[in-house]
Amino acid sequence: MPYYQLRCNICIPERNKHVIIVDEDRSTIPVSNAPTVPGDLTERGCAYAGARGVVGGPIADVIHMIHAPVGCGYYTWGTRRHLGNAYNWARPGVLENEANHRRHCFTTDMTEQDIIFGGAEKLKKALLEAFRINPGARGAVIYNTCSTALIGDDLEQVAREVSKEVGKPIFACASPGFCGVSQSKGHHEFNFQFYKWLIKYREQHPEVCLKEEEKTPYDINLIGEYNIDWDTVVIVPLFEKLGVRILNVFTGNARFQNLFTLPDAKLNVVHCQRSATYIAALIKEGFEVPYIGVSLFGLEQTSKALRDTAAWFGDEKIIKRAEEVIEEEKAAIAKALEWYRNKLEGKRIAIYVGAPRVWHWPKALAELGMEVVACMTTFGHKEDYEKIVQRVKPGTLVIDNPNEFEIEEMIETRKPDLFLTGLKEKYLVRKFGVPTLNSHSYEKGPYAGFRGFINFARDIYQAIYAPVWQLAKEDF
Amino acid sequence: MATRKIGIYGKGGIGKSTTTQNMAAALAHYFGKKVMIHGCDPKADATRLILGGKPQETVLDVLREEGEENVTLDKVMKIGFGGIRCVESGGPEPGVGCAGRGVITAINLMEQLGGYPEDLDFLFFDVLGDVVCGGFAMPVREGKAQEIYIVASGEMMAIYAANNICRGMAKYAQRTGVRLGGIICNSRKVDREEEIIQEFCERIGTQMIMFIPRDNIVQKAEFNRQTVIEFDPEHPQAMAYKELARRIIENKNLVIPKPLSMPELEELVVKYGIV
Repeated sequence: MPYYQLRCNICIPERNKHVIIVDEDRSTIPVSNAPTVPGDLTERGCAYAGARGVVGGPIADVIHMIHAPVGCGYYTWGTRRHLGNAYNWARPGVLENEANHRRHCFTTDMTEQDIIFGGAEKLKKALLEAFRINPGARGAVIYNTCSTALIGDDLEQVAREVSKEVGKPIFACASPGFCGVSQSKGHHEFNFQFYKWLIKYREQHPEVCLKEEEKTPYDINLIGEYNIDWDTVVIVPLFEKLGVRILNVFTGNARFQNLFTLPDAKLNVVHCQRSATYIAALIKEGFEVPYIGVSLFGLEQTSKALRDTAAWFGDEKIIKRAEEVIEEEKAAIAKALEWYRNKLEGKRIAIYVGAPRVWHWPKALAELGMEVVACMTTFGHKEDYEKIVQRVKPGTLVIDNPNEFEIEEMIETRKPDLFLTGLKEKYLVRKFGVPTLNSHSYEKGPYAGFRGFINFARDIYQAIYAPVWQLAKEDF
Repeated sequence: MATRKIGIYGKGGIGKSTTTQNMAAALAHYFGKKVMIHGCDPKADATRLILGGKPQETVLDVLREEGEENVTLDKVMKIGFGGIRCVESGGPEPGVGCAGRGVITAINLMEQLGGYPEDLDFLFFDVLGDVVCGGFAMPVREGKAQEIYIVASGEMMAIYAANNICRGMAKYAQRTGVRLGGIICNSRKVDREEEIIQEFCERIGTQMIMFIPRDNIVQKAEFNRQTVIEFDPEHPQAMAYKELARRIIENKNLVIPKPLSMPELEELVVKYGIV
């Protein structure tokens, strides 16, 4: 197999199969979703981080109770900007935003004696206290982590008891960090457990389902859209303009009570196809609700998403409306796009994010005349890499789960003009005089949709053209 | 002489605590040894006979109720019959928490407090039933118990359990130097009991250090919250414990056991017709 040996991997050849150069027939993909190789300074997170940080965390009006030692709570608190507003008068940027999920961090702070004697009682007390001081909370999600999973504290029983006492739904997610090789397993766990719980809850409380008379033929869910830096503000209106109704966003700025209507939609539109296709597939299996995958970055991909959605409904009016919306939106940003395109044409970009954005972005960046020279994901699976190699040029470097040394070598050999990556990597990369952009939570988003794409272009422009990089190149 | 630190293991209900306390009492009473018992079972019933039923506050109870900084030796260590020092780890109620972690924490705390005096002759760790997880192997880690005695009877499940403990031990023995001192047969009056245990011991490479006959006096003494040694020091059963104590003192036969495979065990059991 034509795997690629990086210089830094000479002493750790096990890493070779995680690195490829995209070949002419795009047939080779790196080995992925595999256990971390000893000696590899991986940047992976844990399954709990995937469950709480990515999928569960964005639900805005619940208490996210972390049944764990205090560090598990603190180090996953507020790290991802999945924004939310719990009240309609709270708007982006307005401080009085009472969304529980970001403002507060709830944990049982398990200590030595709690581990020995069991933490179920403490969890119950913590939940009751959290509900008492946050009467506005509409429910709770409990997560366990390694230690509490190991001692077998019965989260579900506590959830049932407290739920009965406070009269609000409580979902218990078993998400011990050790249950998978990366945060990807946590996405999976949350999806499956949440679906199972949701089905049971709907059976026991039929009033939470969408009533027949409230249903429309044009109800859809946006699945795997987490409202990073208010992406939903630019995405949701696009779909609404088509004449479809978005029942739920799973889980960006979601309301707990609404999520019970997930199976009542006619179609699921899946954006993050790594962390949330699971629930779309489960809903398809259980309720025969089909799903389609979309990319909502860049003009053509967003246009395709709207066209695909319209085509699925097959309604002439919607199909026509989609074309109008696309035209309208493109016209609105044409001038700005042209300006940025002139500035950014020919720039070389490296991308390293979780997984799907690495294949969402190459086509979008091409619309700005830029070329992707290296692609990396933290937890991509086979399907992600299959898409990546189809969307970049042969010769592109692709690394699965890269470490700092590999990133360093990538920067030296591929010489990108910009690195779309996270905050952990930025200091290393900036020392090489290469600008970075926070690609997990954005700089000044939203980045999705048509109008968001201009923000993306602006941030890329500002990063690349910041005068500081000229100074950094001077020899003293 | 350095303290001999001894771990007592065996199937649940086999009589580990009763045997340990009688053995400890014999060591103290007949041979004037300085002895300490650290009970590592969450049930905290390993020192009752030595303390005459005196309630003993466990290490983990104090830790939970008063906090780590308030755990002191005078709260958790009691002295009973024959000057024997008694400590109980305690632990969670059945079915919750992590008793194994409790064993680790309690032993660490005792070490921090200097709770195992240097001039002890014998320190016994009386450990819960089977070695179910890492916590219950704490007493045999480096620098802790160097000798293990397994309490067993001629009953099939007791032998299975003993064999299982040996499997765990064989693993630890390479790393920590812990050795098996022998098997104490606590008779259940099973047919050919002594023979089967003898053969089992030979097969795994150790000795049956003592065959303790079954006698109702043990039960009677227990009702009186005493060891047989205290209750009736002249009784033949007390003499049996005295003999066990003597053999323990003199025991040099410390080995790494060679546990049997399941088919070998089955074959042994069939041979003695206990199926």
